[in-house]
This record gives sequence, structure tokens and C-alpha cells, in this order.
Amino acid sequence: MKQHPLCTDTDHGHDVMKLPVPSELKREWATLQTRRHFLGRTGKVLGWAAVASLFGDRALRGDTDGANNTGPGAQTGEHLRLPHFAPKAKRAIYLFMSGGPSQVDLLDYKPHLLDLYDKDIPDSVRGAQQLTGMTAGQARFPIAPSHWSFKRYGKTGTWVSDLLPNTGRMVDDLAIIKSTNTEAINHEPAIMLMNTGNMNAGKPCLGSWLSYGLGSMNDNLPTFMVLQSKLNTKENNQPVSSRLWSSGFLSSEYAGVGLRSAGDPVLYLTDPSGVDREVRRNMLDAVNEINRQTFQELGDPETHARIAQYEMAYRLQTSVPELAVLSKEPKSTWDLYGDEAKEPGTFAYNCLMARRMAERGVRFTQVYKRGWDMHDNVTGILPIICGETDRGCYALVTDLKQRGLLDDTLVIWAGEFGRTVYSQGGLSKENYGRDHHPRCFTTWMTGGGVRTGITYGETDDYSYNVVKDPVTVRDFNATILHCLGIDHNKLTYNFQGLDQKLTGPVPASVVKGLLA
Amino acid sequence: MKIHRRFAAISKDFLQNSKTVRIAWIVSLAFSAALVLLPWLVNLDGKPHADWQQFLGRFHPLAVHLPIGFLLLVPLLEIAGSFRSALREAAGFILGLAFVAFLLALTLGMLLAYGSGEAGAQVTRHMAGGIALTIGVLLCILARPSWLQRSVVLFYPVLLACMVGLLFWTADQGGSITHGSNYLTAYMPTTLKRITMISANSSSTSFYAMHINPIFDSNCVACHGATKTSGGLRLDSLDLLMKGGKDGPVIVAGDAEKSLLLRRVTLPPDHKQFMPAEGRPPLRPEEVKLIEAWIQQGASPTAATLAGISTADERPELPLRPVADYRALMPEIQQMQQTQGAKLIPVSSKPEDGLILFTVDAASSFGDAPLASFQRFGPYIVEAELGRTAITNASFDTLKQFTHLRALHLEETRITGDGLGKLTSLSQLTYLNLSGTQVTEQSVRALSSMKNLRHIYLYNTPAQPAANPNPTQPIARSQP
Repeated sequence: MKQHPLCTDTDHGHDVMKLPVPSELKREWATLQTRRHFLGRTGKVLGWAAVASLFGDRALRGDTDGANNTGPGAQTGEHLRLPHFAPKAKRAIYLFMSGGPSQVDLLDYKPHLLDLYDKDIPDSVRGAQQLTGMTAGQARFPIAPSHWSFKRYGKTGTWVSDLLPNTGRMVDDLAIIKSTNTEAINHEPAIMLMNTGNMNAGKPCLGSWLSYGLGSMNDNLPTFMVLQSKLNTKENNQPVSSRLWSSGFLSSEYAGVGLRSAGDPVLYLTDPSGVDREVRRNMLDAVNEINRQTFQELGDPETHARIAQYEMAYRLQTSVPELAVLSKEPKSTWDLYGDEAKEPGTFAYNCLMARRMAERGVRFTQVYKRGWDMHDNVTGILPIICGETDRGCYALVTDLKQRGLLDDTLVIWAGEFGRTVYSQGGLSKENYGRDHHPRCFTTWMTGGGVRTGITYGETDDYSYNVVKDPVTVRDFNATILHCLGIDHNKLTYNFQGLDQKLTGPVPASVVKGLLA
Repeated sequence: MKIHRRFAAISKDFLQNSKTVRIAWIVSLAFSAALVLLPWLVNLDGKPHADWQQFLGRFHPLAVHLPIGFLLLVPLLEIAGSFRSALREAAGFILGLAFVAFLLALTLGMLLAYGSGEAGAQVTRHMAGGIALTIGVLLCILARPSWLQRSVVLFYPVLLACMVGLLFWTADQGGSITHGSNYLTAYMPTTLKRITMISANSSSTSFYAMHINPIFDSNCVACHGATKTSGGLRLDSLDLLMKGGKDGPVIVAGDAEKSLLLRRVTLPPDHKQFMPAEGRPPLRPEEVKLIEAWIQQGASPTAATLAGISTADERPELPLRPVADYRALMPEIQQMQQTQGAKLIPVSSKPEDGLILFTVDAASSFGDAPLASFQRFGPYIVEAELGRTAITNASFDTLKQFTHLRALHLEETRITGDGLGKLTSLSQLTYLNLSGTQVTEQSVRALSSMKNLRHIYLYNTPAQPAANPNPTQPIARSQP
């Protein structure tokens, strides 16, 4: 018989009835046993009942986090004993290039490919790799060298495509990682893997782990904010869903708060006519009281998350308008970001907002730019999207630097995978397409904790396989956590019987070569 | 037992016999004279000699610690001996051991110096110290019996004290040969340095002065310096470095591969010609890389930066002054947060990393008075985020009490810089953000004495250098 874990009745294990003793003895034992047991057990059961009523229902529930949480921000790093060590970066800005930017055309310079134009990529390079359904059926895999020429920039003399002249100007401030690689070859699993460390939905994303682990620096703004850039219909826009900034099994307080790219940044933020702030406050107090009663009754920690979110929304009513008012920005801001940044929802605008959020203590800001998925017409689309993003990236890094924020802000630029060196569909001198490529893609980081002015990792002559210092998605995320003072092996949350973590169960390591 | 007692009696007689004492003195003095002449007998010509000498000689650093320990033990035992006589008896034995150990260490040391061709003032001083110690300890042995009998009271204790002093000096000389002369003071706290007047090297900001010279200083100058000049090569100044040694120049500007210096430090460590020699630790790969890049790009005496080399954050980290444990104050801190709306958040789970003051929640209402109320926690605050608050120049008086402050954010506040000089007492401050304030160049100049202050941000201020036509250029400066 399976014992209840709380049962300390050790007599229970021995069954006298099975021992080889005379049956009279067994009978006598049975009578004694029954009486003793009854009295003994009754006492213990009553004792446990008393303990349970003394501690209240919380004592017997595993999730004490939520139970002790009496308000927003109550669960801070202190509670988790975080950061594990003094961090170089207090906050991070993640520029997510959704769709998979083409490393061959941007930062992974392979000049000799020009000689291999329209030649088939050697089988030895491709190996037994399983391709996507989009190119697996192709009769041949002709090499498509980049349509653009590259120049050397900065003191480091790093090669950068003519498509990214502004990135070139700040190349000495970047740590360019050419050896990032992923296991997923399709958008949804790949983008989930980058953001949550797992290809399947349901795990918390990087930003949620950070706000869970490090807590808020500004109670009036969310710890984790998400900015989506406007769609450009000329580009091939893969969907970006709120799963990517979901808090998964963590409390939903830690989920990213998205600002809309058009209209009001947050819906229904302005009070309707006839409702002033005091009325709203009274209403919130009443709703919170009802929620607290619900919590007393059911003990669901999500109720606390709900209270916290209502309170946050109330504070956002004043903090978000202040955040979004750009009229006080000096002229130098517009010189730097361009007039495009005045239009809400553009990538440049989001970069500017990311800087303003960094100034106001937002822990983690993620800017999504969709449209990098170029299966055809690379020469038509790539210049457009580079034009939309290049200046914004440069402006953000430069602005953070001149304002002294880059010392403790980590900036990350990455997509979910790279693109193939061979052409998808027809290859001509004028145009080509590129399929998804997980084996290598180029990303960059800069700011607090990052060793700048370096290029990390190398790819082979075809920008196909990593030949030196590979950086897996796990390593990439572990390194980001490290810059923020977190040991990726120690930031865990017990769920479904596992100590869950961002980097998952497979060992990950911090990339020391990227650290300052 | 009997034999032992008899032996003791005989030896006692022997020692008290004035004739034997005299003979002992004469023999010892003759021996000492021989030792004094040793440097002239064994001419340290700076050339390497037999391998076996080096082999044995390299045990010198190992053996040398024995007599050090013994000699230090003697005064302790003598003092303790006045309480327990058995310890005083042991002192005599240990003193004898010290002499034997000194002889051994001296022999090995001579073998090392002669065998490996070490020479120079530092080596000579170290050798002289070693010889003087050996002689001194011998004299101690001779002087001790009369001290025990209380016939000569002062000589032995004074001599012993002198020997301990001499021991420290000699050991320091030896340490400097191995580790370089600034080994002990390199990480001395700056205030202590100021008191002891040990100045930092040159104030030049060239790449050579900032990055190359320090490498030579800590790895090479011990043998290639003013005090000891192996192979006729000195690496303690740029001129002497470029001059080279007896095998000719060691640096070929613009060609790292042809530069002898680089070749010698990149040989396999077991190679006979590998530098640093004699089993000293090889240069670290990043150090070699810096030297290589510097040579390759022309070995410039003035260039401040090199292409492809990022050194901004490679300067040695400051030895941070740890913060006292604030955990007992946590209830008070939490109460403070509730009343003032500003937060004190631990930098990390380690209390010695200190607290960060965040004011962003209360920004526009957070003025001089609320800041002053945090003064009590000043010594625990390592970073103060006061950007966009209502504080004014009056807060400098509060801020200078934040003695452990490393980073100070004052951006977009109403400060004008009057009294900025009060911050100079913040010796730990490395980061100061004044962007968007009204500070003037003149008020910022008051901070020029702050040696640790590495980053000042003056974006959008009257102090922003006007010579900078491009507003997108960073104003971060490495040295104010």
C-alpha cells in the first residue's frame, strides 16, 4: 500500500501476518494491533489536522511564490537571491530580425564565391542535411554570391556589406558573431527556440525569465516591453505571435507588454469621457478587493498576477504618455535617427522608444522587425529592409553610447536563422532567392559586458558550416544571461517536476570570448 | 642514556672551555671572511655556465624558504623561552638549522646566478644580503651562549633583530628579481599609494605607455632592466627597447615576424631560448597579441590606439572596495523605499557588491531633501541613478558622503556644476553621467584630479567639446 508522504507511521511497513509464526499468535497480534493502531493513528491524524489549520492552506501548497506575493514588485531578485554576481549590464535591448537575415549578403563576407557563380555547392559541404520542403526538391543548388560589394570599416577593418553603411560606422563597437547556429529550420520552431530556448510553445521567453529573475527597476512601467515594427507589404512577413513574449509557466506578470505600432500605444489607456482618475481608482480598489476574496477562496496565484496587471495598467495611464511624447527630444535626436523616427511604428521610432525605455528603467525591451524571409527577389527586398533598419540600429547604439547608457545596457541584434548560400529557385546575375539556413547565421551584441571590436567564430568558404567557435542558441542565451549577472544554471523554476531553465536540459556554456 | 649524558657533559665543557671558544670564533671569522670574498671569487659575468649548475641552482627558490622560516622562528622561541625553558633550548637548535639552511640556500643561489648568467645591481644586492645573513646567523650562534649566561646581554638580541630586518630586505630583493620591482605595490589602494608616494608610471596616454610598457614591466624588466641587464637588453624604456641588446635590435617596426623579441616570447615554452627564461610564467596570449599588433603597426611611440585592438576595458580592473554588510538594515531600507518612492536594490546576491539607488519611480519629486535622507545608507550605495530627478547642486554635499560610489547618474538634472569639485573625494567613482545638464567645462575641470574616473558623459551640455562638429560622436573620454 502506498503511504501518503506525510504519514510517518513506520510500523506500517512490517506485515506480521506474513511472518512464519503460529496462527494463534497472529490472531492475538491482530487484536492488539487493531486497538493500538486505532489509538495511535487517531492521535497522529488529529495532530496533522491541527498543524494544517495552524499554517493555513499555504503550508501544504507547493507554490509559495505566488502565495507570498502581496503586490507588484514584491517578488524581486532579492527573493531569488539574484543577480548571482555583480552584472555588467542592468538592462537589455533585443533587436529581433524576424524571418532570418541573410548572413552572406550582410556580414559574413565570402569574396571568392564570385568565382563560383552558378556552380553547384559541393555535396561534402551540404552533407546529409535535411532541407526544407521549399528547396529539397531542387535539381541543383547553384551558388549565389552576394549581389552587393563589401567594404572594410573601422579600426578593426571589419568587412560589412554596402547594404549596411551605418552598421559599418559602428563596427568597432560590436561583437559580431558569425558562428551562431540553431537546430530548427522553420520559422516558428526556430523563433521559439531563440526566444524561449525550446522549439515547443509554452516555455517562458528570455524577457520573462529576466523580469522573473531580476525584477523591476521602475514600478510605473512594465519590466519587459515588446515593440513591433510596422509591416512593409513588399516584404515577406512571417507572423510574430504573443507566444514569443509569453511567460509560459511563470506567472503572467512576467509576460512582455506589447506597445501597438499604430494609434494609442496601449489600447483603452485614456479614460473614457466622464470617468476621471479618481473614479477609476475607486473602481480598481473594488475590483482588487473582489480579486483578493477570490484568492482567499481558491488560492490560485494567477489571481495575484491579475491584480498586479490591473495596477500596472493604472500606472501606465500616466507613464506611457510621458514615454511616448517625443516633442522634448533635441534636434540632434532627429539628426541621428532620421525623420522616420517621428512616425510611430517605424523601426527607427521603436529604436528611439527603446532608448527612452532604457533611460526609464525598463529591464528588457524587444523590438521585432519582420520581413527578412527572402525566398526570392533578394535584390529587390533586401535593400528595402536594410534601409529600414540599418540607421535605426546605428542610431540606437550611438545614442546609448553618447548618453552613457551603453556601459550598462546590452544590445543584441539577431534573427532566428540564416539563409542558404545557394539560390532557391532561379539564379540570375540580377536576382536570386535564399532558403532557411540553420547551420550558421550572423548576430551581434554590444554594450555592458560585451567585448567589442571583435568578430567571433568563423564559417567555411561557403558560409554554410561553422568551422571555428560555434555558438549554439543555448550558448547565446547563456551569454546574454551572464551579462545581466545571471548564472543560467541557477535561474530555474520548478515546473512539471523539472527545474526548468531558459537554456533547457542540454548543457549550455557562456561564450567567454564574447565577454569584456 | 649514559652515553648521551656523558656526551652532553663533554660538549658543555667544550663550549665553556675558553680555548675552544676562541678557536670557534677564529674559525668562524675566517669562514665569514671567505664568504665576504665570495663575490670576488665567483665572478658573476652575466654569461650562462654549466647546465648542472642551473639545474641545481633552480632549487634555490625552493630551498630559500627554509632558512627564512627557521630564522623567524628563533626570536619567537627565545621570547616564548622565558615562559617555557624547553622552547629556549629548541631556539639554539633551530638557530643551528637556520645556519645550515642558509649555507645551502646561498650555495644554490650562487649556482643559479653563476650558472644562468644573472647579473646586475639587484642580483648583487640579493647576494650580499644572503652572505650577510649567513655570517650574521653564524655570529648569533657564537654570541648566544654568553647571552644565555647573561655575561653579554645586548649583543645577541640586537644582532638577531638586525638579521630579521636584513632578512626582509634580502627577501624583497629576491622577490623583485622574480616578479618585478612593482609587484608588491601594483595593486596598492590608491590612497595608500598617495601616502607612500609611490607614483604611477608615466602619465602618457600612448598605446606603448598604456599597454606595452606595463607588460614588459611586469614580465621582463626584472632581468632586462637597470638593476639587471641580461643579454645587454633593457626593456624599461622605449628608447632602450628600440636600441636592442648585444644581438642587435629586438624590434623591427612594422614587421612582427622579424622582431626578435616577439620570436623569443612565442617559442615553445620548453625551448632553450624561450622568454621569459628560467621557468618564469610565459606572457599571456592577449599580451603577445598586443605586442604583435603594436610592432606590426609600426611600433609607434605616440599612437594611442591600434587597429583591431580594443583595450578600452582591458585596463586592470580597479580593486573595488567591498561594501559592508547591509543586510541588518534591510527593514529600515524597505521602510525608506515606501516613504521616499526610491528603491535601494542589491547589485547582486553578495552584500559586498553594495546597493543601487533607483529613483526613476519618484523621479520628478525626488529632490535634495529625499536624497539627503538616504545619507545614512551612503556607504552601502555603489551606484546612484539620479537622472531626471529634481536634485540640484546642493546635493553634492550629500553625494560626497556616499564613499563607495562607483557610478553616478545625474543626467538631465538641474545641476549646473557649481560644487562639482566636492565629488573629488569619491575615490571609487569611475562613471559620471552629466548629459543634458548645464555643467560647464570649467566646473568639470575640477574633477581632473580623480584618477579612477574613467567615463564622463557630457552629451548635450555646455561642457561638450565645441571642437566636435559631429553631434553623433561619443563624448566618452578615457581620462578627464
